Amino acid sequence: MNAPPAFSKQALASALRAILPAECLVEDKESQRPFECDGLSLYRELPLLVALPETVEQVQAIMQCCHRLQVPVVARGSGTGLCAGAMPHPEGVLLGLSKLNAIMEIDPQARTARVQPGVTNLSISEAVAPHGLYYGPDPSSQIACSIGGNVAENSGGVHCLKYGLTVHNLLSVEMITAQGERVELGSSGLDSPGYDLMALVTGSEGLLGVVTAVTVKLLPLPEVARVVMAGFDSVRAAGDAVGAVIAAGIIPAGLEMMDALAVQAAEDFAHAGYPRDAQAVLLCELDGTEQEVDQHIAAVERIFTEGGATTLRVSASDAERALLWKGRKSAFPAVGRMSPDYYCMDGTIPRSQVSHVLEEISRLSTKYQLRCANVFHAGDGNLHPLIMFDGGCAEQVARAEQFGAEILELSVAVGGCITGEHGVGLEKLAQMESQFSIAELHQFEDIKHAFDPALTLNPGKGIPILKRCQEYRALPRKHQHG
Amino acid sequence: MADLLAHLQAHVREAAANASPVAIRAGNTKSHLVGRYCHARPLDVGDHRGVIDYQPDELVISARAGTPLPELESVLAEHNQVLPFEPPRYGGRATLGGTLACNLSGPARPWLGSVRDAVLGVQLINGEAQVLNVGGKVMKNVAGYDVSRLQAGALGTLGVITQIHLKVLPRAQATQTLAYEMTASQALETMCSRAREPRPLTGACWVNNRLFLRLAGAASAVRHTASQWGGEQLDDEIWSQLREMSHPFFAGKAPLWRLSTAPNAPHCEGVEQCIDWGGAQRWLRGEARSLDLPRGAHLSLFAGGDRDTEVRGALDPVQQRLQQRLKKSFDPAGIFNPGRLYSWM
Amino acid sequence: MHVDLHPRYADDAAATEASGLISACVHCGFCLATCPTYLDSGDERDSPRGRIYLLKQLLEAGEAGPATRRHLDRCLTCRSCETTCPSGMQYGKLLDIGRGMIETEAPRPFLERAWRRALRLVFSRPALFAMVLRPGQWLRPLLPPALARKIPAPQTVGPRPDRQHARRMLVLEGCVQGAATPATNAAATRLLDSLGISLVAAPRAGCCGAVNYHLGAHQQGLDNMRANIDAWWPEIEAGAEAIVSSATGCGSMIADYGKLLASDPAYADKAERIAQLHKDIAQVIATEGLAKLKLAPDARKIAVHVPCSQQHALGQGTAVTDILQGLGFQLAVTRDDHLCCGSAGTYSILQRERSERLRRNKLAALETDKPALIVTANVGCQLHLGEDSSVPVRHWVEFLDEVAHGGR
Repeated sequence: MNAPPAFSKQALASALRAILPAECLVEDKESQRPFECDGLSLYRELPLLVALPETVEQVQAIMQCCHRLQVPVVARGSGTGLCAGAMPHPEGVLLGLSKLNAIMEIDPQARTARVQPGVTNLSISEAVAPHGLYYGPDPSSQIACSIGGNVAENSGGVHCLKYGLTVHNLLSVEMITAQGERVELGSSGLDSPGYDLMALVTGSEGLLGVVTAVTVKLLPLPEVARVVMAGFDSVRAAGDAVGAVIAAGIIPAGLEMMDALAVQAAEDFAHAGYPRDAQAVLLCELDGTEQEVDQHIAAVERIFTEGGATTLRVSASDAERALLWKGRKSAFPAVGRMSPDYYCMDGTIPRSQVSHVLEEISRLSTKYQLRCANVFHAGDGNLHPLIMFDGGCAEQVARAEQFGAEILELSVAVGGCITGEHGVGLEKLAQMESQFSIAELHQFEDIKHAFDPALTLNPGKGIPILKRCQEYRALPRKHQHG
Repeated sequence: MADLLAHLQAHVREAAANASPVAIRAGNTKSHLVGRYCHARPLDVGDHRGVIDYQPDELVISARAGTPLPELESVLAEHNQVLPFEPPRYGGRATLGGTLACNLSGPARPWLGSVRDAVLGVQLINGEAQVLNVGGKVMKNVAGYDVSRLQAGALGTLGVITQIHLKVLPRAQATQTLAYEMTASQALETMCSRAREPRPLTGACWVNNRLFLRLAGAASAVRHTASQWGGEQLDDEIWSQLREMSHPFFAGKAPLWRLSTAPNAPHCEGVEQCIDWGGAQRWLRGEARSLDLPRGAHLSLFAGGDRDTEVRGALDPVQQRLQQRLKKSFDPAGIFNPGRLYSWM
Repeated sequence: MHVDLHPRYADDAAATEASGLISACVHCGFCLATCPTYLDSGDERDSPRGRIYLLKQLLEAGEAGPATRRHLDRCLTCRSCETTCPSGMQYGKLLDIGRGMIETEAPRPFLERAWRRALRLVFSRPALFAMVLRPGQWLRPLLPPALARKIPAPQTVGPRPDRQHARRMLVLEGCVQGAATPATNAAATRLLDSLGISLVAAPRAGCCGAVNYHLGAHQQGLDNMRANIDAWWPEIEAGAEAIVSSATGCGSMIADYGKLLASDPAYADKAERIAQLHKDIAQVIATEGLAKLKLAPDARKIAVHVPCSQQHALGQGTAVTDILQGLGFQLAVTRDDHLCCGSAGTYSILQRERSERLRRNKLAALETDKPALIVTANVGCQLHLGEDSSVPVRHWVEFLDEVAHGGR
């Protein structure tokens, strides 16, 4: 991979010019600049070329061309990812799929929709709402993030305890392989013959193929959904209340926690009425039939009250519910009001460890002299500490990165993982070794080779390969099955 | 209850060194089901069993692959929790590992997911006798490729599954079965329409000209929906008959085919049928290969018939190449369950 | 995001301000979702985040070329992104600064410069605009339909009441509005008259400054503002309660006078006072009491198009629907209310194709529920939508006046 490219930029550009309209091929550095990073702007790189295809046929032709010339390809959707997974490769093509944004088919009776990869998560739900349906996974960036990106990262959201991650809500994906072949993984039924390649591709961060169409499963819109908002005067009390809800046999549609700093930021933007004096705020959504929601709301109110809630409010209308979520879903960028930059972590931990981990984070915050707001998918243990720093100060950036690394290692140490839904990308490569053994990483690498022997798809992301490449090749193992 | 990991690893190492294939088994309940016959020396995982960790508050249980399902379920029952995917127990001998390898799930699948959906992480011995821990014990984990879910339906061809971490759910507070007389086509229409309603539906099947719907969830919601939907109120026996395949429909020697399809695909006449999963899974008896199947549907020979030929549909060439290469990446010497999935794998 | 300001700009106040504004952006991409041009093109460069990034590049590299200018030009300045932005980015302000800088950093070819200059000249001078419009209106029946559609038909204006109330408010006549839809302010005058308020125009007031300012001609824009302040000041000292505008595009500009003239010692205080005194006609009518209007709503279903300037700049997105609903009118269901219709000042002329695509989308979104009428609150939107709409598009004030007084 470190060998000089076997092609010239000119040769590549003229090949792509034959495929794409002029407006869809970005060749000059000035115009390429806005593509140099995704949602994690700490990591930046200019690509050789940016391609913005308008049809699947163009995507396929680009992939075939890049395969022929052995050019790296990095796929990108809306560029909202938080692990630099869509950061361009300096010797490669950045393949932007945002122009592929058609909802191709809605089948209300089968409860499915077939969409192109650039369609935003939220617009699927908006399009199927007239049929009384919606798409379950709702990452906080759902307003902007694309379904193709959701597949690449196996995105979650605030409702995945009950409704699952992206992988649980897909029926099939169409993919262009590294060699430029078009293949459908999954089927119209719930099972397909052979290996579940769709599950493998989901969350593979663009390393195994480029998704060009997605068939998603849809859910009936609940008859009623209401949110209980509760403030607590300690994170521990809030954490215990979360455990008590689960122990009571209730699976809330969403169960979220914000700490005091996150509450400040979210409230400043959304004016949702979060209690600013609370140390932790819980948002617990119950959905289902009217009877069921009433029954569960009463139970949750009782649990929160007994757990020491200092404030308690139940949404009285859909508008109020939406407002309560708006603040939570905007909490990341809203932290931008407090600090020029923030670094968002994504460790998942056993729920029982939350108090311990948050106390440790607070200790690390003092150690690194950087503020940290915490947003937490409390229902499923996915923690998002937002480390605040000033990107203009190199020394602060380094401190933030170290702080983040310690949080991830802590997550693994308490029995969790380094990323719950954002992906590894470029950012968490170093921490992969704290979660996986060499043998496990080798297995991942072998899977990569099975799909992409030339290693042209999103090289240098997801799985730490490059660094051990030499050492790996020296080992007398199987491997040469490419 | 024993930890035989080292023993199993040694077995695999030896098999790999001698290029001597193994047929992985535990309860031996499914060797004649799901896949092709596998003619190889058995590797028994059945004694590698026992629940290792269970945190009811976390909704997570970890167990060795050879753990029989009833053992697992009785541990869960102490905390009023269940395996949401309702796997068949096949007389109580079916194990967790075999359930995952065969990706077997019961009637609730379209609503509560399959074992593939519930698995959070696995421990696996690959073809180089390396013990791999992939996925995790937490609800969300996107680090590395999803090797855990890849095991679902792989029929043990990628490695020896030794341990599984699963998401579990609280037992439904109440259930109610409703029954209606109707034809298959009417039943499919009704199933799809009912599934579009925001009601606590967790089962929809049709057999012997009767549609059965199961409601499960909060008592108030189940009661209210049952009163609105009408129908004859029955006990829940039909669902365990479906789950265990003990319903008379499954009796006898005629080949049993499984059709996986979109739930609203039209009913195909011609053979005796039982419809499950709200229309998405259809059981067919007799000769089904000649039927005119819905587009995008997949037919496989679940039980009986000639299990030395291919029992599932052909893959397109690109998929076949990818699957072969993937198999090789786990099992370069081809020692695990050769031919079980496809003759060429 | 941090900007490493190029040494060239070390003493440049505009550049320094721009880099400060960019520090509020965290590159999350939420703005993509509500940006009409990004939704149209799917191209990052035509999104707010992309344009912020292009400007960041300009500030860091110390130079930029036509590529940056092209994408800045494509911005509608609808500021929908600001409503969406959780981190509080003042995008509109940044873009105005950027447009000013790009005119010198990447000068336009002569013809383009001349054309834009001509547009600024015509649209920012009411008398000149009227001179261009009138012959067009006379010739309208003779013109090919495609061209004729571009020229608004002459309106029946009706008399302005001559009663003198103790309460007086100043009205901004506007440049395009004054000539193309004079009925709007006449209607506003009659409505306020029935509420006991005299609405009067200051004779020497002119363009609000928006045309010049948004096209990057900042000095000319600021001069327009100063001229208005000079025209209004004596009236304010004489007791006029408010500066009322019935075109939200102009209104949002006046509301910004204080910020824009803050560094001009001679005008800063007055500009701030003017900005505070500014009210959209909807605010006045809502506060003065709907009950006093004594309206009998009819059965027509009305679709409300909320101008971007009203919702995203002034933050009064529900003002008109609140009034109409309060009066008992039946409102049509609409979707994508947050998206721009493509009018956006001179945008419909300078970026015609894109503007027309946006209009098609907007009309489809407004007409889903089969309304009998579309009402809006800004002359630009009114004319732009009216060119292609299957139902009449009117200013809501005219509509209200018609129901109240029969339009005269």
